[in-house]
Amino acid sequence: MIKARAPIFRNEFLLLGLFVFVFALMSILSPGQFLKPFTIQSMAFQLPEFGILTLAQMVIIITGGINLSISYTAALSSIVGSVLIVSLNAAHVSPVLSISLGILVMLGIATLGGLFNGTFVALVGVSPILVTLGTMTLFDGLSLLLTRGAAISGYPFAYLWFGNGTIFHVPVPMLIFVLVLIVTYYVINRTSFGMKLFMIGANPTATVFSGVNVKRVLFGLYIYSALLSGLAGVIMSSRYNSAKESYGSSYLLQSVVAAVLGGTDIVGGAGSVFGVVLAVMILQVVSTGLDILGFNRFLTNVIMGLILIGALSLNVLGTSRAQRLAKSRTSAVVG
Amino acid sequence: MMRRTGLLRSKELVIFLVLVAICGIVTIVNPVFIHPSNIMDIFLMNTVLAIMAFGMLVVILTGGIDVSVGAMVATVTMVVGNFMAHVTGNLFAVFLVGIGTGAILGFLNGLLIAKLRIHAIVVTLGTMSIIYGAMFYITGGEWVTQERIPQNFQQFGRTVFGHIPTVNGGATGLPIQFLFVLLAVAVTWALLRFTMFGRSVFAIGGSRISAERAGFRIDRTVILVYLFEGILVGTAGVVHTSIVRQVDPNAFNGFELQVIAAVVLGGASILGGSGSVLGTVLGVALIAVLNNGLILMRVSSYWQQIIIGLVIILAVSMDIIQKRRTEQRQTRVDVETAEGIQ
Repeated sequence: MIKARAPIFRNEFLLLGLFVFVFALMSILSPGQFLKPFTIQSMAFQLPEFGILTLAQMVIIITGGINLSISYTAALSSIVGSVLIVSLNAAHVSPVLSISLGILVMLGIATLGGLFNGTFVALVGVSPILVTLGTMTLFDGLSLLLTRGAAISGYPFAYLWFGNGTIFHVPVPMLIFVLVLIVTYYVINRTSFGMKLFMIGANPTATVFSGVNVKRVLFGLYIYSALLSGLAGVIMSSRYNSAKESYGSSYLLQSVVAAVLGGTDIVGGAGSVFGVVLAVMILQVVSTGLDILGFNRFLTNVIMGLILIGALSLNVLGTSRAQRLAKSRTSAVVG
Repeated sequence: MMRRTGLLRSKELVIFLVLVAICGIVTIVNPVFIHPSNIMDIFLMNTVLAIMAFGMLVVILTGGIDVSVGAMVATVTMVVGNFMAHVTGNLFAVFLVGIGTGAILGFLNGLLIAKLRIHAIVVTLGTMSIIYGAMFYITGGEWVTQERIPQNFQQFGRTVFGHIPTVNGGATGLPIQFLFVLLAVAVTWALLRFTMFGRSVFAIGGSRISAERAGFRIDRTVILVYLFEGILVGTAGVVHTSIVRQVDPNAFNGFELQVIAAVVLGGASILGGSGSVLGTVLGVALIAVLNNGLILMRVSSYWQQIIIGLVIILAVSMDIIQKRRTEQRQTRVDVETAEGIQ
């Protein structure tokens, strides 16, 4: 059922091919500049926060929903945690204690945000796009209220390790990302919870009648998505050495782009973790590559948009019309 | 269908009562709220939101959504501003250029959505990125300052009807921009109420498959819907420029969500097929009164966003809970299905 529809971009090999192609293209177009350890490493530092947020988005899209609050959850949780870390640090509490408390608070606040989304999506039954439209406004407002628009800084030096440190030349955020990747892959593909996500996305009515507690699954899912967002918040605040309401907001739409490019069906029911990771890598290489080539930042936005629509057009060419119609019928039920 | 109409009526009544209640509270805290000059101010400040909301309503009625309207209206204002700065301030030409720009962008959205058969949110995410990117690339993000806007256009923007004394001794009146809101209301209402186009909009939103089987031309309607929205966005862009009399390319960052929020608060279903012009009028009024009222009640601007976020969540939840109650009165099997789905 899940693998029945396999249009062109749902194939990870094609995405891998595309990745190799853009990587080679960038290496040839800017000889000696793109293909050097510094560039590769800086990409490895930038990619994890984007990748984690994309996974947070993807798990929701699999069920036919969308989460517009991920980047704002990340910002709000990192702000609250940072306030704690900075004030504990100012009170000369040991860095280990203040940092671990702070990170706990960040993940806790994110979980609360997920609880909030989950309550309204799963228990009340409002469409995800509306709930998260409301919570993104709400979380952004709370962040603004807490920071008055300013950046919070003054961490103990050790905190910067999470976003800037390396272990054997591998960036720490990259290691965190790989860990998140493995966990998400396991949850989606090897547990009954993951199976239920695909079922809900493919046909929510049938899922109810096959005895699945859809409410509980969705509730858990929004918390998981929020936890990943909180983790992205930890990495971002550490990497930027500050927490601010606007950090990460540009990742919101990009996460949808990457999830869809990676083969996640926007109406739910299909998606692959590896496809999404490859899509994140492709987008990262394209944006870094264009940057090195001296492309205007705004022109890069145009290209990103064209990539999204181009990928979708190819995606559609690979799916027959009858399947689309059948799909739209089921998706209309859950929205 | 008849039952639905009854439900909608009561939905609009609820929104209206909430609106009246909020107006009452604000008036008690700060009587300036009901001063005619403040009402005129509310009218003026929300014309752009209102005009764009009617376009968004028609899009949402078909079950679609358009997150690129912020980018579209920003582009329209930039085109219009530069057109006036470099070519002419002739009103007719300015409106033609603005509406034309909006129409082209809307048409492209519609074409992609209809022909690719991809969910509108994804397509418009892509076009939002492209439109913003192209606009900033071409213009360099430079403002069109007030001294470069022709005098006749500035004069047009300041036009008011009637004479209403303001609190601090000045005078104001009904802003000319409000006429465009009335025009947008009338046209949208007439299109939805009396034309085949309106019928097919509701039909597609109700059930795309049934609409196709009934012989509605889906692709053509979808393209026309986004074209119509583009025309309204174009109008809104010119109207906005006439109000602020300068052009800031960043003025509409995140505005698309406000437009969507107004339509949803007005009781339109995000799944399409249900919603009304009257509801959207009330939805816009609710956001307008909240924004203005919170300022008059001296609520810190940091709290305003939080309150609006909460209002959105509560409003859409109430809607669902109300719907579910109606459904529970139906047969037991229906109840099980409905609860399971929701």
